[in-house]
Amino acid sequence: MKAETPWETRTDFAVVRRSTVWEILTSEKYFKWTLLIPLLVVLAIFMLYPLLYCAYYSFHQWGMRGEAIYVGAQNYRQLLNDKAFLEALYRTLKVLVICVSCELLIGLGLALLWSRNFPGENVVRGLALFPLLVAPLILSLLWNFMFEYDFGAVNLVLQALGLNKVYWWSPERALYTICFITIWQWFPFATFVLVAGLRSLPKDVFEAARVDGASPWYTFRRLTLPMLSPLIMIIVVLRTMWLIRLFDPLYGTTRGGVQTELLDWIVYRTAFVYFDIGYGSTMAIFSLVLTIAVCAVMFKILMKALGGAH
Amino acid sequence: MELIERGEGEMNGVGNVFFWIITFFVLFVIVAPLAWIYLTAFKAPNDIFATEAKKLIFFQPTTENFHRLFREFPFWDNFLNTVIISVSSTVVVLVIASLAAYSFARWNTGKGHLLFNTISTRMFPGVVAAIPFFVMYRNLGLLDTRFGLTLLHIYFNVSFATFLLYGFFKEIPEELEQAAMIDGYSRADIFRRVVLPLVRPGIAVTAVFCLVWSWNEFLFSFLFTRMAARPVTVLISSFWGSIEVQYGPMAAGAAIAILPTLLVSWFMQRYIIRGLTFGAVKG
Repeated sequence: MKAETPWETRTDFAVVRRSTVWEILTSEKYFKWTLLIPLLVVLAIFMLYPLLYCAYYSFHQWGMRGEAIYVGAQNYRQLLNDKAFLEALYRTLKVLVICVSCELLIGLGLALLWSRNFPGENVVRGLALFPLLVAPLILSLLWNFMFEYDFGAVNLVLQALGLNKVYWWSPERALYTICFITIWQWFPFATFVLVAGLRSLPKDVFEAARVDGASPWYTFRRLTLPMLSPLIMIIVVLRTMWLIRLFDPLYGTTRGGVQTELLDWIVYRTAFVYFDIGYGSTMAIFSLVLTIAVCAVMFKILMKALGGAH
Repeated sequence: MELIERGEGEMNGVGNVFFWIITFFVLFVIVAPLAWIYLTAFKAPNDIFATEAKKLIFFQPTTENFHRLFREFPFWDNFLNTVIISVSSTVVVLVIASLAAYSFARWNTGKGHLLFNTISTRMFPGVVAAIPFFVMYRNLGLLDTRFGLTLLHIYFNVSFATFLLYGFFKEIPEELEQAAMIDGYSRADIFRRVVLPLVRPGIAVTAVFCLVWSWNEFLFSFLFTRMAARPVTVLISSFWGSIEVQYGPMAAGAAIAILPTLLVSWFMQRYIIRGLTFGAVKG
């Protein structure tokens, strides 16, 4: 019996010590930070590190081999005079405006149509959600194939209808074709967010408007639209965030050719095709600052919108 | 004109016809391209490259594309990679995100700044993170490993999952936790026994989104894998080569790869809509 005592004591000691650390971690004061530790570790590794890394190499010239040479702000000067980069930036903004506005308009129209209860609504909803959940890359390959000049389904159908075939991937059209693919994939998002919004609107207000003899258009503009505005903001913000980083649809279609190079693609090309890490980092930092600036504003609006919707 | 209102009203005959014409048109535009993947997957090469419109629908079906896909390409290996990577990253993401989201929702930890930083990682251009990690992975030998890609998928999903879950945790009344504290529960117990069971629907929604995003992810998968850890999206993209395009195997591969996501969207539509609106609207 005596011989076992030290062993038991040590066990007790270990248990006590572990429970103390556990107690501190779960104490009233520190528990909220304890919960955040894993997330903060992930963020430090995957956000802070890349940020510092790119910031460092944006002042250097480095091609993955040999020593990095310090070049000061030369990369940034080069960037501001880089026609390809500025064009990519302009195109990205253009895609952003086209896609967000089209998705919203189509979404709003369909939401007004589908907000009522109708037979088969589950089937309609199930089918209409499909594009949202299919890999963007696979969809872009699919549409690339559909828009093929000779044997693509779109041109074959046009021909069968007695219309002329269209060269969808010409330099003038390719960017719009990519916009089309993106809109096709994402309009259900706007649609169903707005359907959910329309269905949750209070009925009595609309009843009152009808009794007062307000025209449907007046009701729509003065009641429906303002009440939907938080959700419209959510759509605009989220889509902006995702569209700035459009990459997959380019890979499946033009691969940055025929004047369709967007922001992320040009960074990819510089860093991973030419292995120009220094200049690629400069572009990355620039596009990051731009994104953060746009999104900081957007995020404020989003939080306000979410607060309004709750 | 009823359409512009709330839509509960009776539809008259003309409105009804108009409604169904538009609905069927939209469904056709959505479903036809997806159906075309499945049609193409069963076409022989000369039917795929046919230039007559009637061959789009009428052709002699064959399973040759699937045979080629399974015989000549490591399709099932890559499919397994996708499954392993998306499931394991989703599990880890759910643990990290639910802890953090609870902290944000209950104590507003970091006074909103931290939450903003978290969500902004999702706005990070993927290529920004890709540059340093490519160099680092090369040095650590993590390129083309499932483990390496899973880590990146965790990073890429964690911020969004946190934000999604934040909305669900926010709905739990604080009084419930106070009552549990009076009953002598510790903070950790409250989280495990009181809060977590209540957000189970939120966790289900988040899990669905993380799985689908990870399943569909392309940029990191494409940059960080070659053969061994290659997910199925990258395999499919490789059929569209600069020298020749293998439409048959591509369609067959796509047909199988998108099947799980189609099933998810069909059977979990309510959950998905709930997630899309961040719980702001109960769809």
